[in-house]
Amino acid sequence: MNRPVREFFSSSYPGMLFESSLPREAEELGPENIIRLAELAGIVDERDGEPLYRKLRQAAEQKVQIIVADAIDDEPYVSSQLGPMLKCSEEAAAGLRLAVKAAGAQKPYFAVYKNITDLMNKIPRTLEGITVKRIRGRYPAEFRTTDDFERGTSLAVLGVCSLIHLCRAVRDHRIQSTCFVTVAGNCVANPMNLEASVGMTVAQLLERCGLADDPGRVIVGGPMTGVACRDTEATVISAGTRAVLAFREDTKDRRYQCIGCGKCVECCPENLTPFYINKYIEKGRMEMLDFYEIDRCISCGTCSYVCPAKLDIADNIKAAKAARRKNTTGGAGRCKIKS
Amino acid sequence: MQDKELKAPHIRMRESARSAMLDVVIALLPLYFMAAYFYGMRAVALGAVSAASAVAADMLCVLVSGRLPNLRDLSALVTGLLLPLMLPASIPYYVVITAAVFAIAVVKHPFGGVGQNIFNPAAGGFAFISVCWPSLVFSYPQPMFPLPIAGELTARLAESPAHALMLGAVPTIDTLDLVLGRFAGPMGVTNILVLGTCFIYLLFRKVISWQAPVAFLAAAAATAYFSPRIPASRWESVVFELLSGTLVFAGVFLLGDPVTSPKRGLSRFLYGALAGGATMLFRYCGGFEQAAAFALLLVNSFTLLIDHEAERLFRIVRRGILGFRAYRRSRRIVKKV
Repeated sequence: MNRPVREFFSSSYPGMLFESSLPREAEELGPENIIRLAELAGIVDERDGEPLYRKLRQAAEQKVQIIVADAIDDEPYVSSQLGPMLKCSEEAAAGLRLAVKAAGAQKPYFAVYKNITDLMNKIPRTLEGITVKRIRGRYPAEFRTTDDFERGTSLAVLGVCSLIHLCRAVRDHRIQSTCFVTVAGNCVANPMNLEASVGMTVAQLLERCGLADDPGRVIVGGPMTGVACRDTEATVISAGTRAVLAFREDTKDRRYQCIGCGKCVECCPENLTPFYINKYIEKGRMEMLDFYEIDRCISCGTCSYVCPAKLDIADNIKAAKAARRKNTTGGAGRCKIKS
Repeated sequence: MQDKELKAPHIRMRESARSAMLDVVIALLPLYFMAAYFYGMRAVALGAVSAASAVAADMLCVLVSGRLPNLRDLSALVTGLLLPLMLPASIPYYVVITAAVFAIAVVKHPFGGVGQNIFNPAAGGFAFISVCWPSLVFSYPQPMFPLPIAGELTARLAESPAHALMLGAVPTIDTLDLVLGRFAGPMGVTNILVLGTCFIYLLFRKVISWQAPVAFLAAAAATAYFSPRIPASRWESVVFELLSGTLVFAGVFLLGDPVTSPKRGLSRFLYGALAGGATMLFRYCGGFEQAAAFALLLVNSFTLLIDHEAERLFRIVRRGILGFRAYRRSRRIVKKV
């Protein structure tokens, strides 16, 4: 995290500019033109994979008051938003000001997840004259973003990396062809934040940072919500990729059983009861899930993380939610999910 | 890459079911040390016999149900170690073995084994033998006279202060002795200072939660304060009721047992308070001087009900108090996934 963001581009990188007659100075651009440039540059918000221009247009239509640049890296190991925000702060701030102008909002903010155990990284109070809001507390912090702002204000949350790309699109007319990725994990010899070309394979990224060991598990995305990747040669990174993590793993099956400790209930950020939800899913009693309000689950994975029996509670809930959605849209009848 | 399905989250906490149970075992060791100090090595031998029979019974039950025994599952060991601490050091070995086997084979496994049992196995085993052999279970040797490990026991047995309380008399023990456990009583539960230390250790290791034990002791203390059954001051009544028997031990190790207690903080509070009230009711009106185990078994049967009602309450809370948060999240203009 403390190292500079290194560049790692494929050979086709330099030619990625687009043609436009629009001026390159931020002062001369109107809101519509900024949105137009974002569309031409094909910028994608790294948090949800939605095109930036659509989000900006939506924000302009709904007359939001505040634009928040989201650099909330709340998952452990990952710093692919915070890193670029601190190292490329000039571009990030310029991009944020452009977004404010495009949406017709009044105030920009940076939002950063401040982990109290992280003493190495100093987070400034203001960055290029823009206030940095700190989101505190435990892991699922991102969904709490809005709680820290005053009631009654409407805000739009945009990823910080997409704002950096917005700044480049305006200044250099550059197409978004890169993304910011954290490469880390206990198998990676040289963990760092990379700015890598979109379309490179996961294997290339891991090779760039060096593998110290044969990884048992390679994850694309954060360690809490990411997806395990089976074939690193066949998986490419996209604009929404935030991290590539390689872990060595103890594959021993310990056959723990639930001891009913209730830790999952204590830690649930949405105040749900994962213990009973999981029990009913395992028994196939799907009609009880409504009572336990499974649809409020935000799939943060904390229940699985704390589980001393190493049960896949979060995964079971996710599968059950997907099955429910299928049932309400299409076929009827109860479906049973194996644990 | 192996073929095993790898599911998110990809990192897990280091604490496991095994480490949680191991923490309880660690917390029990000082109690055995105190028991050995008061009653000699017989206390340790009782613990070993009970633990061995509990683990053996557990293995057998698992084999009978057609699964492979899991050596990482230490819950039977915990049950086996808990049981003798509530008994006098003079108890014959066959009684302890009966209690351990009953706890595992009748109270735990018919309900589905680890994590599925409705009733606390240790409390069940204790209740069973105190009904079968009340004279053996409720007469205690004096501390500081080490007992032989095997052979004829010649020690003079006495009633515990809890018995005096039951008869409506004020026990003639000073408070310091009560706190340090220097009186005739169950072998491992009388030293309140050591028990308190164990409680704090388990709390910091997050193996047990504070709500149930605190509510349990508070409810018991309140009952003792407002309706003392002995001719003494109210505070003396509280001290004697809390410290003379298995109350504190039951609060820490039996109510703290995660399997049989409700899962929510609030429902744990209610559960503890109910257990405390029931214990005092059994003490005041029942036939046995140590009533915590019976009360616990009674309240265990309400666990699911308490949790269900708490869930009903939390459905309202999620809509009300936390509801405004959810409302604001839904108003967020540009939504994130």
